Amino acid sequence: MLVALLSSQYARFTTLAQAWLSSGATSFGVYQQGRPLAYWPIGQKLAQPSLTVPIQVGSEVVGDVRVSGVHGQQHEARLRADADMIAYMVALENELQGMTAELVTSQDQQLSLYRLMQTMRSHVTIEETLQALVHEALRMVKIQSCFALFVAPDRDPLFVQHPTTTINEELAWRCYWHAQTMERELLLPNPDDTAWASLPVESLLFVPIHVRGTMMAGLGLVNRQGGEFFAVDLKLARAIADQVSAQIEKVLLYQESYDQAKLRTEMELARRVQLDLLPRHVPQVPGLDIYAHSRPAYQVGGDFFDFISEQGRPFIFSVGDVTGKGLSAALLMTMTRSALHSKALFIPDPNPEIVMRQSHEDLYHDFTQVGVFATAFVGQYERATQRLIYANAGHSPVIYRPRDGAPLLLRADSTAIGVFAVSHSKNQTIQMRQGDLLIVATDGFSDARNHSDETFDHERLLYMADRLVQKSAQEIGQALFDAVDRFSSGRPQDDDQTLVVIKGM
Amino acid sequence: MNFETRFSNNIAILALAGRFDTNTAPPVAAWLEKATTTPPAQVVVNLAQTTFVDSTALATLVQALKRSRQGQGDVHLCGLQRSVYMIFELTRLDKAFNIFVDEDHAIAAFTE
Repeated sequence: MLVALLSSQYARFTTLAQAWLSSGATSFGVYQQGRPLAYWPIGQKLAQPSLTVPIQVGSEVVGDVRVSGVHGQQHEARLRADADMIAYMVALENELQGMTAELVTSQDQQLSLYRLMQTMRSHVTIEETLQALVHEALRMVKIQSCFALFVAPDRDPLFVQHPTTTINEELAWRCYWHAQTMERELLLPNPDDTAWASLPVESLLFVPIHVRGTMMAGLGLVNRQGGEFFAVDLKLARAIADQVSAQIEKVLLYQESYDQAKLRTEMELARRVQLDLLPRHVPQVPGLDIYAHSRPAYQVGGDFFDFISEQGRPFIFSVGDVTGKGLSAALLMTMTRSALHSKALFIPDPNPEIVMRQSHEDLYHDFTQVGVFATAFVGQYERATQRLIYANAGHSPVIYRPRDGAPLLLRADSTAIGVFAVSHSKNQTIQMRQGDLLIVATDGFSDARNHSDETFDHERLLYMADRLVQKSAQEIGQALFDAVDRFSSGRPQDDDQTLVVIKGM
Repeated sequence: MNFETRFSNNIAILALAGRFDTNTAPPVAAWLEKATTTPPAQVVVNLAQTTFVDSTALATLVQALKRSRQGQGDVHLCGLQRSVYMIFELTRLDKAFNIFVDEDHAIAAFTE
């Protein structure tokens, strides 16, 4: 300590010595443990000191000052004042050195944290980030090993450590849940906490890592070199935790946007598959004028329509609507459409009731499992009798406008597919003579809303069916879509809108 | 939509006011699921103040009905406005549910 002060303040010591020499002293020296550190006049033989005063910093004597050739209380008091001054300067020098050391440590840590941030920046998964964390933390803190944990909803929990076999995973998770419950760091050993008495490690520091406001991860430092962890270690561990928190947040954000992009691609694919399932052309059925169109509210939808028009088989069509929206509804829609389609196509001598009942049997169990149902309308045209036979499982709205009568809303003959274990579908018959009109829509029409929160409702559909009855199926369909668009006047479509218009010719 | 719930002699009563649709169904579905967890679940849904139901609302009620009947319970509906009742008629759900004119009748039917 004294040596450092002498070398940094040598000129001042020389001034002090010269002041003594000029006032009658023959020598002035600074000593440490009996050995001279500096001596004036320079190059002269050491003289026997006449006065010696210790340099005392706090309770510690760090050296002494000696003069020769002068005596008396006055000189002794002066030498004591010099010794006090030197002691004070030694204390200041100590403090300065301490601060410098702290500054250097802090700069080193900042550099390490910067390196940690740089290292982690290139990682795109949480596991990679945690691996980088434990490796870097081991370099930054004087410890034997390091581990990190991560828990988030809908993800597998992660545990990584370096070196790999130092701590058992169970202890690591115990630290995690403890920190989460207590909402603070865990510092061991802790003589006040008997729960951790038989700790298989010498010392352990666990800091929680908060991501998006909740504890989602944690960092554990094991066996500090030289004994227990100090406040400075805790400070550094917290700084590391903050850095990692920001990085995990970035990784999550990246993964979410990646997942979203992936989902968009998959939705687009699903949309194309779904569009391919819808008939591209309306079949030419003698005696009928047909229009059909479906407009999903989202990229994929739960509505469908289908035609089965095969040589030697009756013309059958179906319209359906699965409850719910988006991808899940789209999946169930394809199931429903496929069940109805295959029954209509392959059952010998089919009719709507049988098609509906058998499809219901196929679908009921699966629908019950996921808690949804599907409404469906199946129609079959008999040209010879100019009749349309149908079965309606909970589907609405269906409007029949006979050429010479008022428009009617047709009630379902059974509940939707998936409601009850047994289907009560029954064939119903309406006439389909020249001019008779059947409109099978989905509730995306009747439930469409305008900006005043009014619904398009059945009344408007009935009114339009009546007004448009003289038009072709195509014109009626277009007019209905135009009308619902005008009514909604730019309000986003809430639900899929599907329309099949069949008119007798 | 507002929804109020209460219990009377082990019968869970739910009163819905306003539009019962995709946007408002989730909390109702959650409540009904809870109410029908322990059999025999007896639930009355009062729709007197309900102005509109869509297919999601119907699905929500049907799910509750199926769950309660699995445990020998039931869901009784009551007070349906004309426009809402028409939806039940058109979709044939008027045959699936036991529908009553008012809450007193719906509750009484459980105790008879």
